[in-house]
Amino acid sequence: MNFVLVLPAMIAALALGIWVAAILDATCRSLVAGQGRMSLTAAAPLRAAASYMSRQRLTTEAPDRMNWFLSIASYLALAAIGLAMVPLGPNTAVIGISTSVVLWGACESLVVVVVFLHGWSPNSPLALIGAYRYVAIGLPVMLLSMFVLIAAALPARSLDLREIVTSQAGMWNVLRQPLGLPLFLFLGLSLTLRGPFDYADSADLAGGTSVEDSGADRAGWQVARLAMLVGFSAMAATVFLGGYLGPVLPGAVWLILKTLAVMAVVIALSHLLARMPVARMLGLIWKVLLPLSFVDLLWAGLAALP
Amino acid sequence: MTDLAFYTLSALAIWSGWRVFRVDSMIRATFALMVSFIAVGGIALLMSAEFIGVATVFMMAVEMMVMALFMVMFMMNPAGLNPMRMVHQYGLSIGAGFAAFVGLTVAVLTTNLPNNPLPAGRDTLRDLGIELLGQSMLIFETAGVTLLATMVGAVVLSSRGGRFGDTNEGAVPPGLHPGGAPAGRKVETGGGHGGHGGHGAHAGHDMIMEDADVKDVDTHQSHDEAETDEPAAANDEHAGHTHHTATSDPTSDKIAPGDPHKTHGTEH
Repeated sequence: MNFVLVLPAMIAALALGIWVAAILDATCRSLVAGQGRMSLTAAAPLRAAASYMSRQRLTTEAPDRMNWFLSIASYLALAAIGLAMVPLGPNTAVIGISTSVVLWGACESLVVVVVFLHGWSPNSPLALIGAYRYVAIGLPVMLLSMFVLIAAALPARSLDLREIVTSQAGMWNVLRQPLGLPLFLFLGLSLTLRGPFDYADSADLAGGTSVEDSGADRAGWQVARLAMLVGFSAMAATVFLGGYLGPVLPGAVWLILKTLAVMAVVIALSHLLARMPVARMLGLIWKVLLPLSFVDLLWAGLAALP
Repeated sequence: MTDLAFYTLSALAIWSGWRVFRVDSMIRATFALMVSFIAVGGIALLMSAEFIGVATVFMMAVEMMVMALFMVMFMMNPAGLNPMRMVHQYGLSIGAGFAAFVGLTVAVLTTNLPNNPLPAGRDTLRDLGIELLGQSMLIFETAGVTLLATMVGAVVLSSRGGRFGDTNEGAVPPGLHPGGAPAGRKVETGGGHGGHGGHGAHAGHDMIMEDADVKDVDTHQSHDEAETDEPAAANDEHAGHTHHTATSDPTSDKIAPGDPHKTHGTEH
């Protein structure tokens, strides 16, 4: 496919994905709260965005304006880069690089930096606490995703996402490496600052790193979070659910369906799982989840032996 | 096109490297260094070193984040927003910088740099893997074990039972005379308007006023309205305050004697 065609299509898909994610999130929240399906209106996310955009931008005392703006813009950019690496068909991806899994890892680690800077730049106590908490949780969660991704790359014998998809023609990685997808979903919750892994922007800090965001900044940060959810869901669908592979329907449709399924699961998890204090969560990650990811890697390595 | 990308990335690497020594905060310096390394990773990508280039970005992002965290832990400047001088020992550092520059320049100019383009279809990733786990294995494993020992050392240093005793004891400054009570400010107990702004708040308020007039008008409208009722000659802020309480205006209770907005209004 032509690059000139694929890039606008990807941007349109990202925008559409953000909109769908916002609606799913609002629906799930009202369902969990027992309010029925009241908030399922298609225009609600757009109205909320317009309302934020039309408000003035407040600022704090002596903020770091450049890093504040850059953190929001980079978060969105990292989400777009993640989505651009997803293969749309055999040998077709907007960013076709032979080490795309490592590039996704770089995106994950830069997300930790970006969220930290977003909390650090406003020069505000609650935002700063959110930033430091997120680094403590975000770094080990990223570590476990590295092991899970290396395990997924082993059967393909390649660090290229396109090869990883082709290697799943016989059996999807979600069945071949049953520990992989659940562990990777935890990374998704952490990357998108959701539910039990949201130590950056949670309500116990009155909004954490985004407590000082207002006007267009706030709209931008929330859009970037949802964009990261879209990018992550497409990545999870590619690495574990066979990406564009599927019978009858064209590959792109399969990819979109699987992405939406992963997105729905992540949103449901973010509303259903219980939150934990930071120390207990750190214990869970280092003592339970990381060893589980070692088991996953060992399992995949033994299975991939010739 | 490749040349343009190379010169852009080189300029970014040099500029952000220079910024490391010009900014006044550890966090800014750390992430300026990260940008510099990411630009170098981009140059590695241009040289078809796809794994090394991307891995550089990945490693530097994690490494600089951890480094920023450890620096903040050791330097007791929790936010990193407090301005501080990032350079010291001028004579020594100028000498070291000059020596390093001369050494590297001589090395680059005298080395016969290889110029063999990558054959098409060559799997550099495989070559790198064979190299890492083949002939160079001992070197990399030695470096790996050394780094691990360093990490364990850093964790021990930053753990609770540190050099100055248990951190649970609290960071209490030493007394002014041997055996005396800890020096420093005592935390004031009791309510009142104590935390409602002093001279620091004045300065900060004036600074923000320059570029955020719109915000000020919106959020402090109640103050402004209250102040319009005041006599114009209320230069003494205490007098202004008593005036408010006398009229029993509901908004006046919120205006403390040291309120920065009010003083700002009366100064003009």
